[in-house]
Amino acid sequence: MEAVNLLSSNKYTEKQIGYLFISVLVNSNSELIRLINNAIKNDLASRNPTFMCLALHCIANVGSREMGEAFAADIPRILVAGDSMDSVKQSAALCLLRLYKASPDLVPMGEWTARVVHLLNDQHMGVVTAAVSLITCLCKKNPDDFKTCISLAVSRLSRIVSSASTDLQDYTYYFVPAPWLSVKLLRLLQCYPPPEDAAVKGRLVECLETVLNKAQEPPKSKKVQHSNAKNAILFETISLIIHYDSEPNLLVRACNQLGQFLQHRETNLRYLALESMCTLASSEFSHEAVKTHIDTVINALKTERDVSVRQRAADLLYAMCDRSNAKQIVSEMLRYLETADYAIREEIVLKVAILAEKYAVDYSWYVDTILNLIRIAGDYVSEEVWYRVLQIVTNRDDVQGYAAKTVFEALQAPACHENMVKVGGYILGEFGNLIAGDPRSSPPVQFSLLHSKFHLCSVATRALLLSTYIKFINLFPETKATIQGVLRAGSQLRNADVELQQRAVEYLTLSSVASTDVLATVLEEMPPFPERESSILAKLKRKKGPGAASSLDDGRRDASSNDINGGVEPTPSTVSTPSPSADLLGLRAAPPPAAATAPASAGNLLVDVFSDGPAAQPSLGPTPEEAFLSELEPPAPESPMGLLADPAPASDPGPEDIGPPIPEADELLNKFVCKNNGVLFENQLLQIGVKSEFRQNLGRMYLFYGNKTSVQFQNFSPTVVHPGDLQTQLAVQTKRVAAQVDGGAQVQQVLNIECLRDFLTPPLLSLRFRYGGAPQSLTLKLPVTINKFFQPTEMAAQDFFQRWKQLSLPLQEAQKIFKANHPMDAEVTKAKLLGFGSALLDNVDPNPENFVGAGIIQTKALQVGCLLRLEPNAQAQMYRLTLRTSKEPVSRHLCELLAQQF
Amino acid sequence: MIQAILVFNNHGKPRLVRFYQRFPEEIQQQIVRETFHLVLKRDDNICNFLEGGSLIGGSDYKLIYRHYATLYFVFCVDSSESELGILDLIQVFVETLDKCFENVCELDLIFHMDKVHYILQEVVMGGMVLETNMNEIVAQMEAQSRLEKSEGGLSAAPARAVSAVKNINLPEIPRNINIGDLNIKVPNLSQFV
Repeated sequence: MEAVNLLSSNKYTEKQIGYLFISVLVNSNSELIRLINNAIKNDLASRNPTFMCLALHCIANVGSREMGEAFAADIPRILVAGDSMDSVKQSAALCLLRLYKASPDLVPMGEWTARVVHLLNDQHMGVVTAAVSLITCLCKKNPDDFKTCISLAVSRLSRIVSSASTDLQDYTYYFVPAPWLSVKLLRLLQCYPPPEDAAVKGRLVECLETVLNKAQEPPKSKKVQHSNAKNAILFETISLIIHYDSEPNLLVRACNQLGQFLQHRETNLRYLALESMCTLASSEFSHEAVKTHIDTVINALKTERDVSVRQRAADLLYAMCDRSNAKQIVSEMLRYLETADYAIREEIVLKVAILAEKYAVDYSWYVDTILNLIRIAGDYVSEEVWYRVLQIVTNRDDVQGYAAKTVFEALQAPACHENMVKVGGYILGEFGNLIAGDPRSSPPVQFSLLHSKFHLCSVATRALLLSTYIKFINLFPETKATIQGVLRAGSQLRNADVELQQRAVEYLTLSSVASTDVLATVLEEMPPFPERESSILAKLKRKKGPGAASSLDDGRRDASSNDINGGVEPTPSTVSTPSPSADLLGLRAAPPPAAATAPASAGNLLVDVFSDGPAAQPSLGPTPEEAFLSELEPPAPESPMGLLADPAPASDPGPEDIGPPIPEADELLNKFVCKNNGVLFENQLLQIGVKSEFRQNLGRMYLFYGNKTSVQFQNFSPTVVHPGDLQTQLAVQTKRVAAQVDGGAQVQQVLNIECLRDFLTPPLLSLRFRYGGAPQSLTLKLPVTINKFFQPTEMAAQDFFQRWKQLSLPLQEAQKIFKANHPMDAEVTKAKLLGFGSALLDNVDPNPENFVGAGIIQTKALQVGCLLRLEPNAQAQMYRLTLRTSKEPVSRHLCELLAQQF
Repeated sequence: MIQAILVFNNHGKPRLVRFYQRFPEEIQQQIVRETFHLVLKRDDNICNFLEGGSLIGGSDYKLIYRHYATLYFVFCVDSSESELGILDLIQVFVETLDKCFENVCELDLIFHMDKVHYILQEVVMGGMVLETNMNEIVAQMEAQSRLEKSEGGLSAAPARAVSAVKNINLPEIPRNINIGDLNIKVPNLSQFV
């Protein structure tokens, strides 16, 4: 309170101490803020420049939203007013910048923008510096409004660069003319592509060359400040050259200059040179030039005393790596890993793993590298890394034998890391037979080697090893007795851990009950993993920016971790308790592979056969059998429509007499906009679960129909219907399901979906069946919405804004302002947006509260780029959602879909 | 943008703490402590940049620091600032302090907290670099002190008291005055209003 009194004093000292108090100590205490705002308002209106400055400083230092609301409109006026003093203009520019950064929506754009650009011509260098800072920030949002600043900035820059060191008296810092302003101008130019006007461009290139030339001149002063200032400009010049990426000549010069700095005795310069080179390495013109410095960089990695410099060197090695030098770089990084600082080990491990995979010429090298990695830094090898190596080994026949041999050797080390045991256990369990021929690695030796590690491992690893043992029983029948002994031991069967106990019991029973054939089927070699984006890469991205990874990856990772056991667990139930359908198959001498690959659906088919009744009976010969079996095959892609209207039973209703969707269908659909799995529908009779996955323009959906009653459903027939012209937009292939669903049973239906072009309405699922004689029918909307075909896209802030600008037609944008229906939690919102399918981009929106996303909708006919922005307003409990896509209906549709989610 | 400016001595006692983004008091103190530990273990002749500690935004932010005799000047900045530029800015700030206080030392920062803040205010405003011209800053400061003198009395009294204390040469320097003494000053001032 006293402080506020001080503000309204007329004495300078009192005012000053009041402002100091407020800017240092005040937090947003609402009552006080109003009083303070009042005092500030008075000072801004006064013509006393000192008071105005004080007030502006205070606004900038507090920079709260309330202040922004109160003053955002006044400050631009002060900034461009003709009679403002230089120092006031300077403060006003920065104050505006600060408010803009705090809450961009508050600062109105207007006619003042053009005049701000002209501040670049101001006499006073301080004003120019402040104005450049302001414009640099503003133009990221509205590049077009500030386009005129390019030529002004270039001419200003060339005046500074070409001036003698004494021209700009006050702003010359250790013989370097206006270093800060030059740096700022160069930063500003980095917001734009190279100037189109040839004259401006010529002038700029000249400037850049002058700067590069000056670097070669002998220093005018021995002082470190002189070289600092000079090099600050130089580095900024180089990053501008890299940004333009169009002048091979300059790029190579820049690279050479950086090469010199790499050996400079100033650590700061080495650090910065490494950092700039990282960006330089990604340019195609200079990639080769950067590679010539590889030895210096490796040397830096080895000998540098400073950890931050070493880390930069490691980054650079990662950036400059390609097929030709991968082996050298990876081995150097491995060597470095032994001595690396703990904080950066995990990152290096990830990088090594990625490089090794990306540039592997032969996979035995890859396996060697990863195993080395685990040996050297086992603690830092995250799960993704060893999952990945298992995936690759499983998918590539040629390395399996080698991998088995190598892990076997690695396991022989007296102390080996648990991750090594995991990899070893898995690989030997799968491919141990490939090395069993060698007496040194005969099955009993393999087993005792693994078992010697067993007691030292954590529960998860032990569980994995148990799975390995049961696989050994299958691979090497001679080990059966030993392993059964191990499983039977009290420490396993009565283990305190439920998982271990369950596995021991199940495996023991399985091994003693099941016949060799059954064992062989159950414990078959894992099928190849589907190719997918490396989860390691996703992890590295996540390390770099927490928002960059999608929640999808978690799901995938879990899937791959379960694969190890999942392949074993579910199958025993179908095989060890042979279902009647399997018996029937046996009776009718159906080809065994069909039974092995799809016992469940084969069973359904058989039921189908009998349900068709007498009509089907006479033709039980081999020919219809084959016909049925061929239906088991995935439908041929050429005739998706044909299958839809396929040989359905006569009772199947035609698409014409489909009832309207149930009233709550829309609501049910909304639940699935941001997720792929869950319960689609449930009533007293029936539960429908959905599990779906989408990749690019294709999707697969599993529908699970569960009969909740104890009575059989008859004539059960689900069909997919395309209302309107959806037929041309979306192709859905369905597989038939059994016409009867037993009480308490569940049947599964697979839908293959292909998105042909953008669509607005979801397909309908029509369901008919008889329950206790009464016909039932139900129509639902299938949870297939356009956003399912989203492909997340990562992009930098600049790209984003550039694209955002490109989609500026009013029709391309859809915006919605709506009240929040759910509590506003940033994490939940994030998860929803990721589930929606777009990538979340960090550090794009200046306001960290806002969410910005990008993605491409993949359809067969075309791709639609989408950018979205969600601005929550916690106070009002409102959101503003803006979508820009290249197709107008898509923008609107996505906007509506997404708006219902919050 | 500059996120924070921290000045502490070789023992980690904060001498000037200025945040341009709101952090609760206890987090601020943790940040100072963390930064001190990050900076302390670095030799003098290795580079002046390092990635920020976990509390202050991690690798998105850089700590750029300089070590002068007994004091560390640490600026925490985001990627929009040029590293060498900030390094020079620290130099400008210190040289300005030197000009204003004539041979600046740690004690000046303790006893002339307000003045140091005013100088900083002329250099950095709300996290943005305002003025880099030393002469300009010094001129501003001189104008301020002229104004102060012309209004007389008010700030002279505490200053006199301070210099008296300084001359006594207390064995123990009072700790962390920065917030405490301002609170003391304000009630004193009320009688003048």
